[in-house]
Order: sequence, then C-alpha cells, then structure tokens
Amino acid sequence: MAGKVGTRGCKKIRGAQIRDILDSKHNVLFDCDGVIWNGETVVAGAPEVVTLLKQQGKRVFFVTNNCTRPRENYVQKFSRLGFTDVVEEEIFSSAYCSAAYLRDVAKVQGKVFVIGCHGVQKELQDAGVPIVEDVSDGPDVSIYNFPLEPDVKAVLVGYDERFTFMKLAKACCYLKNSDCLFLATDPDPWHPLRGGRITPGSGSLTAALETASSRKATVIGKPSRFMFECIASQFDLDPARSLMIGDRLETDILFGANCGLDTMLTLTGVSTMEEAQQYRDSDASEKKDFVPDYVVETIGDFLQALED
Amino acid sequence: MAASNAKCTRLTGSLVKQLLDSIDSVLFDCDGVIWRGDQAIPGAPDVINLLKKNGKRVFFVTNNSTKTRKMYADKLATLGFNASEEEVFGTAYCSAMYLKSVAKIQGKVYLVGSNAMKQEIENVGIQTTGVGPDPISGVQIDWANVSLDPEVKAVVVGFDQHFSYMKLNRALQYLCNPSCLFVGTNTDTRLPLEGGKAVPGTGCLVKAVETAAQRPAQVVGKPSNFMFDCVAKQFGLDPARALMVGDRLDTDIMLGTNCGLKTLLTLTGVSTVADAEDHLKSGCPNRAGMVPDYYIDTIAELLPALQG
Repeated sequence: MAGKVGTRGCKKIRGAQIRDILDSKHNVLFDCDGVIWNGETVVAGAPEVVTLLKQQGKRVFFVTNNCTRPRENYVQKFSRLGFTDVVEEEIFSSAYCSAAYLRDVAKVQGKVFVIGCHGVQKELQDAGVPIVEDVSDGPDVSIYNFPLEPDVKAVLVGYDERFTFMKLAKACCYLKNSDCLFLATDPDPWHPLRGGRITPGSGSLTAALETASSRKATVIGKPSRFMFECIASQFDLDPARSLMIGDRLETDILFGANCGLDTMLTLTGVSTMEEAQQYRDSDASEKKDFVPDYVVETIGDFLQALED
Repeated sequence: MAASNAKCTRLTGSLVKQLLDSIDSVLFDCDGVIWRGDQAIPGAPDVINLLKKNGKRVFFVTNNSTKTRKMYADKLATLGFNASEEEVFGTAYCSAMYLKSVAKIQGKVYLVGSNAMKQEIENVGIQTTGVGPDPISGVQIDWANVSLDPEVKAVVVGFDQHFSYMKLNRALQYLCNPSCLFVGTNTDTRLPLEGGKAVPGTGCLVKAVETAAQRPAQVVGKPSNFMFDCVAKQFGLDPARALMVGDRLDTDIMLGTNCGLKTLLTLTGVSTVADAEDHLKSGCPNRAGMVPDYYIDTIAELLPALQG
C-alpha cells in the first residue's frame, strides 16, 4: 500500500514540479493512445521526452490495451511517428500479455478459440499458443448446425472487426465446459478515433459473450494488474519508483492504483480535469482509485523539466 | 396490492378448479410452456382449446422476436392450437406498437433484427434500414465515418443471426446522437431454436450495444409491463381476473406479479421449483416478484379440471 490515499488530489503540475517527480522515479510507464499519439498524429514533444528520459537513465515502458496490432507493427508505428529508440521489448500490449498469460500463467494445454483481429492472433502464434484456425464456414454451416473443434481449453475475446453471431455461438458452446478458460484482452467499451469519433471496443464483445455464457471473463488489460505483473516478470520493477501516465481514468489511473504506482493524467486524450475532480470529490470510497496523483496538460510539458 | 399469503403452492386437486373459476383470461408464454422448438408440449393444444370452450380468453405472450403474429398464428395452427393472430403478442409486434404509440417515432429505425421485425415495424408505417448481412470492409477510420441516414430516429435491437461488428458499429454511430432512441426487444440470454437447440439470445446483442454506447436500452419484452399493457389495451383485461402461465421466473412470473396477475409456473421449461423456493426464502424484496403463486409439472395437468 503506497500510503498515498490522503494526497491523491489531481495536482496540476508543470516545470520544476514535473522534474521533482521524475527525479524520484526509475520507471515510467506510458499508455499510448491519447498520451504519446492520437491515431497517426504524434503528441508534440513525445519522441524527445522518451529519448531524454532514457538518457537520464530511466526505463520506459509502453502499456496499451489496444490489441489491434502485434508488437512488431507497434515498433514500426513508433518509428513512423518519430520515436528513434523504442524497442519491441518495451512494448506491452493487451494482445501480447494475453498470449503470455495463456502460455506462462494458465499454461493452457490444448487450443484457444480466438475472437480477435489479426493483432491478437499473431501474438498468440508468436508465443507458440495453438489457436483454432479462423476459416470461413462452409455454405451448409448455420446457427442450427455448426462444427466445434475438440480440445479447446480456452476462449480469448478481443477487438474483432470480423465479429459475427456465429463466433459468439461457437464461443458460448466451448464455455459450457467449466474447464475451458475465459479470457478477454481488455475491458474498453469503445475506442477513440480521429475527430472525436468512436468505434466499439473489446469490452462490448466481451459483454455479449459474458451474457451468453453466464460467465465472467478474466480481463488481462488495464485496469487489471496482469499487464504490470507481465512487465515485472521480465524486468525488475519497484512500484514505489514507478510512474503510470495515462489519459483514461477508468483504465490507466485505476491500473496504476491497483499496482501501487503513482499516477499521472495527461489531458491530450479521453478523460478531462473535470471528470478527475468529480472522482476526487465523490463520497464513494472506491472512486478514490480513479483519482490521479498528478495532472499535466500534455507530456510535451516534460521537455522543459528534462532539458533544464 | 395484496399478494396471496400462500406462495409457490403446487396446483393440484380442487385448487385447479378454484383457480380456473377465479379468472377470465389466461396469458401463456410459448417456449417451454406450450411448445418446445417445433413440438407441442403433450396435451397443450387441448388445454388451450378447452379453456376457450369454457369461455376463457387466451393470449400468447412471447419475448421471441423472430416471428410476426401471422407466423406465430401459422405455427399455432400447425401444432393443433385453436388460436388467431390477434391473440399473439410477440416482441416483434409489441416493439412496433411501442415505436408507434409510445415513442411516437417520426422517422426511420436502424434495425438490428429479423425480417419478421422489419415486417411488423413497417406494418405500422415506420421505415427500417439495416436488416440482413452487413460484413466489414475498409479500415478502422472508415467505420466511424459510415454514412448515417439522417432520418433514423431510433436504434432497435432484436434477435439477429447476422449480427456483426459492422452492425454494432453502425448502431453505436447512430446512438452517439443523444436524441436517438434505443430500444431492445428483450434481454433473454438464450434463444431456443426449432429443433431444440439453443443459441445466444437477444440479451447478448443488446448488452453489446449498451456497452459500446454506454447507455441502457428501453426494453419492450417481459418482464417490462409494456407486453401486458399491449394486451390489456386491446382487450380490456382485469388483471385480478387474469392468469400468467410461464416457465421463467425472471420474465414470465415477474411480469405477472408486476401487473397484478395471478401467476403459474410450469416446469416444462427453464426454471425449477428449487429456484422459486430460493427466491421465496431469500426474503429479498427484489426477488419476491419472481415467486409464483402456483406451480405445475406441465400445463397438461389442467386437463382433468377442464374436462370435468
């Protein structure tokens, strides 16, 4: 327990205040969407901030619920947007962590039925986790008559633009077996796109399958602790010397609180200062974990602090 | 509203005639009560036909949105039930009634649902768009920018075997407008098919859309009072002299209790006596409505009293 409950207060900071906080931290965990980039547009100063943090001996990690691309594609995106020194090992996506969970924690023996886009399937394949092949059903397959694979020991649901009723029906059948695991990459109900638009997220597909199966999914992504445990299993992280920076109170900030990290909200993404203050002023004790320790307008503000 | 002191009593012996003499109308759920898939529950047609001979009015109230009233009437006739279209209240018809007379929609409906729903809604003069397969194409930013029909004033979700990510996405885009209505036919988690199998129900699809849009649907089907109101308005029913017969405590019996009807649980479907007794013993006011007045193994047990 970090003992920070009394000081959780949405403190807006800049300049020297940022420098003091960064000086006390060895590990900086960044969410991606809304923090270092928005779609294909980099947040001004983000690449330089990452470089400077590393030059000052900090370790930098990227922790994203976005499971639409495999890690190697993320590396390409980082490069495309001007980040010069980000490597695959620093990137933790919910797809990568779901594969790691299935292989190393659940140690699943058998196949995984995946409701997920290419990004999800590739991470499972790269981790050596056998998956049920995603092939189109033949013309005689319908909701009255569909084939099931034997030996399915887990169902994983993530963002899937090819989601269909048939996939839902099949997954529901596999989940009738209580030995079959039920995992979800992340709980996000919607994802923001450019121009203030949104698109349905993994959370909405997971909700459909939970309703169908009357079972609750084990959620890998933020705010669940697992992604932090995944990073910690590969790198030695002291939560007291780690800072989580995100734009979504219900995922990033709650994640930080759940893992005993200090948290910083940046205002270049989803959540607003007003929303953070509402959580702070709420009477409900469970809302306290949604309140960030610190708030910055943009991580670009770190430049001034780091360059001094 | 005084409930009978004795609850969850087996309906047997002289109680049967006593109950039948105290009511003028009987409302039957369909799946698990009068038929299973495409097979009538043995004795069920005789029960309905004898009730009518004895001067009782009979209605059929079902959450299943995949058939029009006409299609239900045809199925009833095929299975030997003496029934007419006007006596059937399925959620396809009741959703249309809701949109017309309660929501008073001026404009179109984006419909995630069956052809039956399309027919019933268009029968009341409201145009629909969206029925049928809708596969994904293009890339993520295209989906947020799908062309929206400006005349759409409501999103309606019923059972749809063509449910897909693209439909979920379109529904979300329409619902981003806070003045767009959101209606769901029912929240049942399973749908029984002809032939006896069950697949994920409409409740899963409604949940997916509710999660993405972060707002609740207005649900037309049981246990919402609206289904009973629909019948009562057209036929002038006295709830105190009406009986609801169903197989599900959370929909049929709950509706009956909420509307002041007598309630009879039949055990040829989903719920058990143990379920009912659990609700009774819980002492929880929210669960009291799910305790039936009476229960019976099958509605065929009403025959001796009807034939006598």
